[in-house]
Amino acid sequence: MADPANDFIRDYQALAQQSWDAWARQLQQQQPQPAVNPFFTPPAAPTSSSDTLERTLAGLKGYFDWMQGAAAGGAAAQPTDWRQQLQQMFGGASQPFAQAFGGIDSAGAEGFSRQWQSWMQAAQHSGFGDLPGTHGPTPAFGLNREQQMQQQATAAAIMESLQASARYQALIQRANKQGMERLQDKLAQHTDLGRQIDSLKALYDLWVDSAEEAYAEIALSDEFRDAYGDMVNKQMHVRQLQQQQTEQMCQQLGVPSRSEVSSLGERLQALRRELRANQVSSPENHFDEIATLRRELAALKHQFASSPAPAAPAAKKRATAKPDAVAVKKAIAKAPVVAPRKTVSSKAAPAGTNPRKRK
Amino acid sequence: MHTPLRIDPAKALGDIATFQRKLAAGMGHLRSMREPEYANTPRKLVYSEDKLKVWHFEGHSRPTAKTPLLIVYALVNTVWMTDLQADRSMVRNLLEQGEDVYLIDWGYPDGADRWLTLDDYINGYLDRCVDVVRQRHGLDAINLLGICQGGAFSLSYTALHADKVKNLITMVTPVDFHTPDNMLSHWCRNMDVDLFVDTMGNIPAGLMNYVYLTLKPVRLNQQKYIGMVDILDNPTELENFLRMERWIFDSPDQAGEAFRQFIKDFYQGNKLVKGTLEIGGKLVDLGKVTHPVLNIFAEQDHLVPPDASRAMGKHVGTTDYTQLAFKGGHIGIYVSGRAQREVPPAIHQWLSARD
Repeated sequence: MADPANDFIRDYQALAQQSWDAWARQLQQQQPQPAVNPFFTPPAAPTSSSDTLERTLAGLKGYFDWMQGAAAGGAAAQPTDWRQQLQQMFGGASQPFAQAFGGIDSAGAEGFSRQWQSWMQAAQHSGFGDLPGTHGPTPAFGLNREQQMQQQATAAAIMESLQASARYQALIQRANKQGMERLQDKLAQHTDLGRQIDSLKALYDLWVDSAEEAYAEIALSDEFRDAYGDMVNKQMHVRQLQQQQTEQMCQQLGVPSRSEVSSLGERLQALRRELRANQVSSPENHFDEIATLRRELAALKHQFASSPAPAAPAAKKRATAKPDAVAVKKAIAKAPVVAPRKTVSSKAAPAGTNPRKRK
Repeated sequence: MHTPLRIDPAKALGDIATFQRKLAAGMGHLRSMREPEYANTPRKLVYSEDKLKVWHFEGHSRPTAKTPLLIVYALVNTVWMTDLQADRSMVRNLLEQGEDVYLIDWGYPDGADRWLTLDDYINGYLDRCVDVVRQRHGLDAINLLGICQGGAFSLSYTALHADKVKNLITMVTPVDFHTPDNMLSHWCRNMDVDLFVDTMGNIPAGLMNYVYLTLKPVRLNQQKYIGMVDILDNPTELENFLRMERWIFDSPDQAGEAFRQFIKDFYQGNKLVKGTLEIGGKLVDLGKVTHPVLNIFAEQDHLVPPDASRAMGKHVGTTDYTQLAFKGGHIGIYVSGRAQREVPPAIHQWLSARD
């Protein structure tokens, strides 16, 4: 039997979804679509209005989907059991908590997560998951022994990383579940006339409070701390193995590797420190040296002034005294040199001009 | 007793339609807007080294303060939070109070900065910046204002170079990194930081922002943007919103070595309060901070819990310690209307009494 109210909601939903999808597509067309390449992560796009739009969209989409689902599934139903009604409103694909977390991945950590995901995709496309090593190490031998062992190590590390991520995700889901329980508790305090929740927005805001409270409690637990640390460490291990393989490829191709460039940077910084240390770290020694030289110079001057002045030999003495004076001057010239600085005075460019953007 | 949910289906549909309408109309505004500028209070570059710059701000009138104030910002995010927009600029407000304000802009580290250590930052860059300001004013010691991580740097610097600092002000500065409500500290406790830095090199800003968003995932990644829909038709508010978005996400990468040391020694080891922190081979003894200290923290700070800042009082050696609790969050302490009314005047008043 036809239900005009529900039919209307469904029609409206379809219409609204179409308009949403239309400008979401429009936005996506402006974004460069990265190719799946395990060894290359496009540089993070600088902040721009389109970046803001993308981030905004990710956040709004979850809310929009939820409102539609809630209006159709919960708000339209006759309120016999409000807890069941609540489950209908917050369950299913429009679950806003998952949307909120999904949205983060598409924003800030884009470069990081994209590289990870693309690497996983590449591994799956090439049947990497079936390689020996994903289920435990297998002895390798022959000319390609080292490469086989490395591949096995990488496959095993990926599996471990996936397990660690799954453990973390399970905790996120637990936070979501406990958030719903907190929401029910909060709603139970709104049963008096005049205190009832009468809009989707008010319900959403109450849910946000509940979800964040539950998440914070779990995020501060020892279990979460262990899972979080383990997830990060396992991901880094995969990346490290991946980098090692890339380095080997670079070496074979004669391309300077990341570690070689990094090593140069390390030596350069060490040299700069040594240079500064030689220039400024022992000023007291220089001061002492200068003071001593000054005393000696004064004594010499005094001695010279107070001594009788015989005619011919005096000229000789002066001639021999000259080099000493030069030596003293040189010693003074070695006095502390202020570290190379650029003390300048110029008007400012607009604040926050990110040099990366000028590239 | 009634059901707590009394949502009229027709009203719910109306809400969705309104949301959709606002979004459709406002998206046009959003797309047409240019990237908002910061306040850009007039300033002169007085020193630069590598990517670092020291700015001297110019107020409408000559400073009344005898001792200049050097602002030391954190390495994370950009320094322009202190000069965000004309009517929400801590720098501008301090100038109007009569302070003579300098600011260290750390810049955007790249691969060449991968091996910069905390010693390079604190005993190197920061010390040379302090020297420049001292020399410009012919003073033995100047005032320092450290913000967040920059506060931890300033505190360490003051302990190591006591003669060069006259008064120390810290804002939202973590000192005890092991308070039970410190989520960032909790999360990184089991991280293998050596593996992390060896693998990543410099720490990408995007990854840092990802971590910050996950401190309050729903609020920061969804609810905030839903609130934005209501201001899409207000160009001024929308511009303010986008300016803040720019500041949040336009942030520098972190020099790998300094990051490694900061996480290991401050977050994991909590060495600042244990008295075991060494920077450049020298022990950072907070007991040597005998200078007047003004410690300002935010009561609703989700990044640096108030207790993490309050702990400073127990560890510094000074007898002239003042604590100011601000009703707001980690960002609101610079840009909220309340902050403009309360924070810079409080700083100026405190400094004036010690100038």
